[in-house]
Amino acid sequence: MALEVVADVARPRARTRWRTAAILAAAVGLGAGAGILLFNTSGPPKDRDITIYAKQYSFEPPIIRANRGDRLHLKLVSLDVVHGFYLEGYDVDAEILPQQKNALVRHPSQGDQRVEQEEITVVATQTGKFRYRCSHTCGALHPFMSGELIVAPNHSLHGGIGASLGLLVGFALVVRRREPTAAA
Amino acid sequence: MTPGSQPARPLEAPEPAPAARAPVKPAKPIRDWPGVDLLDRYPFVRKVLKWRPLQFWLIWPNVLFFAAFLYAGLFGSPVGSRNVMIVFVWIFWWFLLIALLVPFLSRAWCTVCPLPVFGEWLQRLRFVGVRSGEGPKKQRTRMFGLNLEWPRALQNIWLQNLGFLCLASFSALLVTRPIVSTFVLGGMIVLAVALSLVFRQRAFCMYLCPVSGFLGLYSMTSTLAVRVKDPTLCRSHKEKECLLGCESGYGCPWFQYVGGMTRNNYCGMCFECVKTCPYDNVTVFLRPFCSDRLLKGYDEAFKAFIMLVLALVYSVTLLGPWGTVKDWANISEVGNWKGFGLYVLAVFGLCLGVFPALHLAMTWLGRRLANEPKARLGDSFVRYAYVWVPLGLFAWIAFSVPLMAVNGAYILSTLSDPLGHGWDLFRTGSVQWHPLLPEWIGLVQLPLLLAGLYVSLSSSWRIGRELYADSHKALLSLAPTWAFAATMTVALMCFFVG
Repeated sequence: MALEVVADVARPRARTRWRTAAILAAAVGLGAGAGILLFNTSGPPKDRDITIYAKQYSFEPPIIRANRGDRLHLKLVSLDVVHGFYLEGYDVDAEILPQQKNALVRHPSQGDQRVEQEEITVVATQTGKFRYRCSHTCGALHPFMSGELIVAPNHSLHGGIGASLGLLVGFALVVRRREPTAAA
Repeated sequence: MTPGSQPARPLEAPEPAPAARAPVKPAKPIRDWPGVDLLDRYPFVRKVLKWRPLQFWLIWPNVLFFAAFLYAGLFGSPVGSRNVMIVFVWIFWWFLLIALLVPFLSRAWCTVCPLPVFGEWLQRLRFVGVRSGEGPKKQRTRMFGLNLEWPRALQNIWLQNLGFLCLASFSALLVTRPIVSTFVLGGMIVLAVALSLVFRQRAFCMYLCPVSGFLGLYSMTSTLAVRVKDPTLCRSHKEKECLLGCESGYGCPWFQYVGGMTRNNYCGMCFECVKTCPYDNVTVFLRPFCSDRLLKGYDEAFKAFIMLVLALVYSVTLLGPWGTVKDWANISEVGNWKGFGLYVLAVFGLCLGVFPALHLAMTWLGRRLANEPKARLGDSFVRYAYVWVPLGLFAWIAFSVPLMAVNGAYILSTLSDPLGHGWDLFRTGSVQWHPLLPEWIGLVQLPLLLAGLYVSLSSSWRIGRELYADSHKALLSLAPTWAFAATMTVALMCFFVG
């Protein structure tokens, strides 16, 4: 027979199961920690002037990369219809009217009062990926109109990658240790 | 038959035994795999499942809702986020299906699905009752229609795979245009009815429904399963009411023989077998996650590839920031046929070419590392494709979390204003769009992907140990596939949080 079909592997006993869980948790934790520590770098903070153009159904630039502490001076321009600009994690929501220099800005945590502003200043204090989304229904694909603000260092990504690799290595070690080879 | 296997094709009906039925007494469970017999533990659940009108009363409200959604698609607002058809079907239902129903309740959606029910009622000429008598193919219930056998060459899920890919190519239209959703879902009802008049039982669900394909695949992971308590009792019992029907119920509409069933894939959870079994041998088990681990055939393996790749593709097209890709997919508005052609080519090419080729390369490399030339590459290719089942399911859940969290506010507003006509039925019509904790979404997605990777590794390890007697060889044979799975997990993380 080409492949030897072996009876279902017996489930590990409770103690082994706990030990396995502890080893895997440690591997994931170590991997995540290593990922975060290895890439815990970002450039010095500086001021950046960025003009964001909104059109059905995307923002230009689609991705803004910044470093922790950067001051982002955002100007919002609509190239076609009325759009919104809701920046996750930074309490900013704006309405962008076509052919208008100023946007109507509000801070959702402070209510619905909108103020006309030419520029929105955001200090990138939080790290990771934050999406900016259109918050004003602008057409069929409106729910999927978004852009990304990525503030370095991106701990979520690096921790996630490290945790995945930790899990992979940890799991291989666990099964290798648990299951004796035929030769042994 | 190997553990966990189950015939994918419909069984030929066995000869009914002429002898009088043996004295009926309830079967005792002799299963050796872990699981809780829910019908044994909660007898009232058995009573409910044996109650003939159950499915009718479960489906009827769903049929009414579905009719209302179709109406809204035709006569409601063309803006998706203001139309109940889009908001309830592609945000609420989809999240419910992928994150809760499939992992915990298997194909419970098929129990209440309104798409094939009109065809089934037409075949039976009954809403609830049973038309006993001599039926087609040795059935003991009469059926209206031609009752032809589904072509043998198509008795697999390739048509479902291709159908799902075709729908996926037009997904940017399907999930944003109410009218498109109405025509597609309405068309599926018409097709199901037409097929029910020509082919026997639920041919549409079994071989064509694009939703059924992935429900079948991911129901393998489910914690719920319809099985028999004592398979030996089924082997010795000749009358096979579960397959052929009797006065108390119809033979399995999905052509499955529950006595030999060891996978969830093709069980539509209609519970006819619970009703027909004279020994109460059929039950519902609560069991560990990912208990079914046997993929059978290339069609099922490719389904696993397609689903994982589409989770990635949708993460780029719908959730990603790239306007060019959205413009390509948004063919009806932008009209860029060249871009749309490229998009479709990429979807089909990745799902049917690039990803399977990479999986094949990893399987081949694993076989080389394990130094087991006698091992058949095709066997390992299909069996190791299971790696992508739990990972794909968790990827889809992770993909659906932002859909629900970001667009969930539309559910409240469309509840009061389902057609987008300015109504305010429940005083929620004026609820403003506001995403629910969007900055936490990534922190929910990461553990989901890690959980998917862990379940993939542990499930495939069991498969590897079934294929290779030597654990070292099993590990070596799996190593490249595991590395590939970790790479795909990282790729998904890059799209979600990177």
